[in-house]
Amino acid sequence: MATKSERDFENALLRNYELKSSLWGKISEAMVMTSLVACGVFSLAITVGIIVLLASQSIGFFNNADLAIDPFTFLTDTRWTIGQTQGTPRYGILPLVSGTFRITGIAMVISLPIGLICAIYLSEYATPRVRSILKPTLEILAGIPTVVLGFFAIKFITPYLLQPIGDFKTFNAASAGIAVGILCLPLVTSLAEDALRAVPDSLREGAYGLGSTRLEVTLKVVVPAALSGIISAFLLALSRAIGETMVVALAAGSTPTFTADPRGPSQTMTGFIVETFQSESLEPDSIGYYSMYAVAAVLFVFTFTITLIGQLIRMRYQEVYS
Amino acid sequence: MSNFYSTPRSEANRKSKNSYFAVICLLVCGLVVMTLVVLLASIFFTGGNWLSWDFLFANHLEDNPEESGIWQAIVGSVAMCFLCGVCALPIGIGTAIFLEEFQPRNSLLRSLHWLVQLNITNLAGVPSIVYGILGVTAFVYMFSYFPSITPNDPPTYEIGANYRYQMKTLGGDFVNFPCPDKTDKEFRINESIEAVDSRGNSFTLNVVESRSAAPKNDPVLLDQTVVKGKRPSKYAVKSFFYFHLPFGKTVLAAGLTLGLVILPIIIIASQEALRAVPASLREAALGMGATRWESVREVVLPAATPGFMTGAILAMSRAVGEAAPVLAVMGGVLVTTNGLTNLMAKTPVLPVTIYKWAGDENVGFEHLAAAAIIVLLVLLLVMNSVAILIRSRYEKMLG
Repeated sequence: MATKSERDFENALLRNYELKSSLWGKISEAMVMTSLVACGVFSLAITVGIIVLLASQSIGFFNNADLAIDPFTFLTDTRWTIGQTQGTPRYGILPLVSGTFRITGIAMVISLPIGLICAIYLSEYATPRVRSILKPTLEILAGIPTVVLGFFAIKFITPYLLQPIGDFKTFNAASAGIAVGILCLPLVTSLAEDALRAVPDSLREGAYGLGSTRLEVTLKVVVPAALSGIISAFLLALSRAIGETMVVALAAGSTPTFTADPRGPSQTMTGFIVETFQSESLEPDSIGYYSMYAVAAVLFVFTFTITLIGQLIRMRYQEVYS
Repeated sequence: MSNFYSTPRSEANRKSKNSYFAVICLLVCGLVVMTLVVLLASIFFTGGNWLSWDFLFANHLEDNPEESGIWQAIVGSVAMCFLCGVCALPIGIGTAIFLEEFQPRNSLLRSLHWLVQLNITNLAGVPSIVYGILGVTAFVYMFSYFPSITPNDPPTYEIGANYRYQMKTLGGDFVNFPCPDKTDKEFRINESIEAVDSRGNSFTLNVVESRSAAPKNDPVLLDQTVVKGKRPSKYAVKSFFYFHLPFGKTVLAAGLTLGLVILPIIIIASQEALRAVPASLREAALGMGATRWESVREVVLPAATPGFMTGAILAMSRAVGEAAPVLAVMGGVLVTTNGLTNLMAKTPVLPVTIYKWAGDENVGFEHLAAAAIIVLLVLLLVMNSVAILIRSRYEKMLG
């Protein structure tokens, strides 16, 4: 004895009814699709918003009649004197850029080799026991807020590590660089390890079969095969270091300097932006306000370009194993 | 043992190189572990002694590290974290569903799809201070579309605020009465008006021409008498839903900005959660005649919910530790008089408090900063443990 719904279904088939969605079903499907597309468009709008905002406000900086500054001077002058009252103000971003690259350079010197070695060790050498110590360590390190690393830099690295070995000022580029390096380390390690692990075992086994030692397998087979992933990990760390704010705001001081000496204070682009925000006199349409946007635009161009290059390398040169 | 290519000697050389490298690796990894140990130890030794219940439940006091505390900062951090989660979660999960579950067929949507996917990685690489600048322009000043908020003028567009005048009577009592026009700066008391005294009784305010005409013999009446032409001070009673445009330097603006910061993280985590749902579940739903949205709603989303939650908690724990955008939007607030009573209030948060204390010249605040770091790390530890707990149960469920 068939139930009622089964009979309905048979009738529908027999009479060749079309089994299709109801009108309400179609409408709700379209509504859902629209809202999901809206979500996607929102994330695009953020990027567009950032670009439009920085561009338009930077134009306001260059069009300011009181300043009479052109983009060329802005990019090549070696003095940055916003906030100082005496003398003619000079708006050359090079001191801030040099500060950023001094600190980023130190951070990269620390985080790239150590991060890569840790990644190689984790992926190729480590026993489960070492792994069970190292992996959580890196995860905890990755979760530590940047302001904590800034505190560590100013209260530990400067007085106990750097000042005993040389003439380091209270605020210096070296301690900020070391702290940013510690910050980038887990990022490099985890991304590079992922890249190394994605190399299929057949490649390793082939190399072992030819009589290679583990070191030779690693350096001559696995690392070259994972190179695109490793480089994009490096680039990501680089853009992270350039954009890092709280560590440099705490440990690097607020004097823009155009030197290569890591012992003295050095204000970075991010450090300048934070300092400008904190000053009580910040008002919309003031010179400090516009200069902040100009600096932020330069910062954004750096990080955006580096991220984009990293993406391109990964898409273009990624070896696909299946 | 020797072969055609390597002599015994070079083979020994190669093998020793390998073991040297292993030792170097181990040393480097030891250095990393030691860095973390030193970091945590130095913070604990600096701040451990300063942790106490009094520290947790007190608030910041100027030049007085011994009695300062972080209660408002903890409340502010937790509130901000919820606020940004609530804002970013629906949009983030929506974007992830769009990217993972709906492969569009027409070319316009397909290029949009590709662009959004490319854009997510770029957004994740934008420095948080740039989000801070965006937040200041978009939320604090709202592109200067509305009249900006100044300390002395009430905002033009606001709800939930009840303006009143307050003044001192000749008897020394403070009485208040309603303010008919909040923009009036020249209001003077000229005629008697219904008022409320400091004990909450309402009465009719007695207005006299000059101080000499005051009823000096009647203390009760004197408490209800003011001199004509005096200017009362204006204040606002703000309800819990107090709201104004533009947002100004408030907790809502900061929370929305942090929502922008964690949006890419939530999207990436939600995409991974959706990818972890086996295709067989979707196929079964589609095979039974469900539409795409029905299969997503009834089958995929329930299966991916624990993954969403894990991602959301991890993203929110990132937001809790983020100082730069908050500093940009709200400024370096250390303490407020009223606390967090509505979304249009300012509030200190833990990372900003740590930043300000670490830069303070008073050495005592250095120890307080370390103690606040310990509290922040414990908070992060709790959030991450919850996330790991959910993930481990989730893996059992799907595995």
